[in-house]
Amino acid sequence: FMGRYNDDFDDGEDIAEFDDNDFAEFEDVSEDPAVDVEKEPPPRAAPSSTPIEDDEDEATVENEDGQDEFEDADAQDQDMYSKYDNEEFEGYEKTNPSFKDTLIYREVPAHLQNSWESYYMEILMVTGLLAYIMNYIIGKNKNSRLAQAWFNSHRELLESNFALVGDDGTSKEATSTGKLNQENEHIYNLWCSGRVCCEGMLIQLKFLKRQDLLNVLARMMRPACDQVQVKVTLNDEDMDTFVFAVGSRKAMARLQKEMQDLCEFCGDKPKSGAKYGIPESLAILSEMGEVTDGVMDNKMVHYLTSHADKIESIHFSDQFSGPKVMQEEGQPLKLPETKKTLLFTFNVPGMGNTSPKDMDILLPLMNMVIYSIDKVKKLRLNREGKQKADRNRARVEENFLKQTHTQRQEAAQTRREEKKRAEKERIMNEEDPDRQRRLEEAAQRREQKKLEKKQMKMKQIKVKAM
Amino acid sequence: MTVNNMADPRRPNKIFRYKPPNTETNPTLEDPTPDYMNLLGMIFSMCGLMLKLKWCAWIAVYCSFISFANSRSSEDTKQMMSSFIISDISSTQRNPQM
Repeated sequence: FMGRYNDDFDDGEDIAEFDDNDFAEFEDVSEDPAVDVEKEPPPRAAPSSTPIEDDEDEATVENEDGQDEFEDADAQDQDMYSKYDNEEFEGYEKTNPSFKDTLIYREVPAHLQNSWESYYMEILMVTGLLAYIMNYIIGKNKNSRLAQAWFNSHRELLESNFALVGDDGTSKEATSTGKLNQENEHIYNLWCSGRVCCEGMLIQLKFLKRQDLLNVLARMMRPACDQVQVKVTLNDEDMDTFVFAVGSRKAMARLQKEMQDLCEFCGDKPKSGAKYGIPESLAILSEMGEVTDGVMDNKMVHYLTSHADKIESIHFSDQFSGPKVMQEEGQPLKLPETKKTLLFTFNVPGMGNTSPKDMDILLPLMNMVIYSIDKVKKLRLNREGKQKADRNRARVEENFLKQTHTQRQEAAQTRREEKKRAEKERIMNEEDPDRQRRLEEAAQRREQKKLEKKQMKMKQIKVKAM
Repeated sequence: MTVNNMADPRRPNKIFRYKPPNTETNPTLEDPTPDYMNLLGMIFSMCGLMLKLKWCAWIAVYCSFISFANSRSSEDTKQMMSSFIISDISSTQRNPQM
């Protein structure tokens, strides 16, 4: 009579509609299995009913599990009845040794459980996110403190040298804001202006991305350091025409390839600094020897020697136009705009493990910057040097023009065609037929005149050739 | 011993205003990380929504966090928030598969 209950449970929907009366049969035979089996369906009914509501597919899986449950219950009962009739249940697998004590708890699929373990993925992810947020806050604060410490230690020097210290360009009047502009969570800049010998000075504090956990991890593989970049822009009268650079060997090699002006004017390989009394680790790129001699006076040599570890690169140039711009259509049509510039890049010592106190170490470097500004104003090439420099610049321009000659011709041609087309369109769009005729005639006359001019020119050339 | 050394080098009449550097002419100066991360975040969140892959959605959340951390302060915070929200919504969905 076990079979009858199996049939009942074949129909999936009925499981939820159970009540105790269905187990009346069990109760008569023995208490324990009834109690055990009774306990099983109601808890099974509860979780299985919810999946039925959510997803048809889930329900069928559930039902199969439920069926297994009852089949096992059946098996337990079989053991009990084996005493009565073994032959009847021949071939029935007795998988469970003792039916009274053990209950088989089916594995509830993970997504139906309501315990913490099912959410381990989420917990992991959220922990990761929290770690990221913590690092963001800590990194942001550290960078902010470093920037403030730098500014506090340099404020006096800057305010005694510049009339305007700190400007974000938005206020109507040119008054010192007296604070850094925050571009990013890791880049701060400061604009100073109002001094002899220069137009202005832009200082950029390029800190490491301490606020980005990915970057922090990447830096564990590849150490990097905070940088302070100073860019002094000069008026035309503040600097003579020369190009010069000094810095670490690696930086010089890189700049010679990257920078437009260093590439064009300083063709030779970087020379060792030892010849001029500065450490071997520094290299010099110069347009001509006279420039190097002029820049490397005693004070400069002293600065470079005592702070060689903090100097990444120093670049003086009257033809500064930034790094080489890669254009897809070949060469650019116009010479890039140049500006007389002094560019300093300093490395903050500590390789990233800097504290706000270390910012004072950079103060002598700012002194060097100020000294350089005054020096460059006084540095004038002698006659020979000046001639050389002018020749260099003319050469560079000529090369450039030659390279772009064909392109400029093509550009001029296209422009002429565009003009013609635009005129024709204007004539076509003219509604008044009379006006149209008149415009057409005017255009024709113009064309004729042009042809005549050309013919005249050709004649003149022929005459001259003769 | 020039007078210049003693004199105040400051010249209030020679003040130039700050002009933010034009990043269009110098594309090398710009850091592309926040833009890439923003794009990746969008892609992953769409993947997560369409293909119902939870890990996609989580990566999208991380991407939007990274993009936010690296972003420039001049950019609109509203735009950042919108990408945040999209990836968050798709990740908090209780998807059946992993």
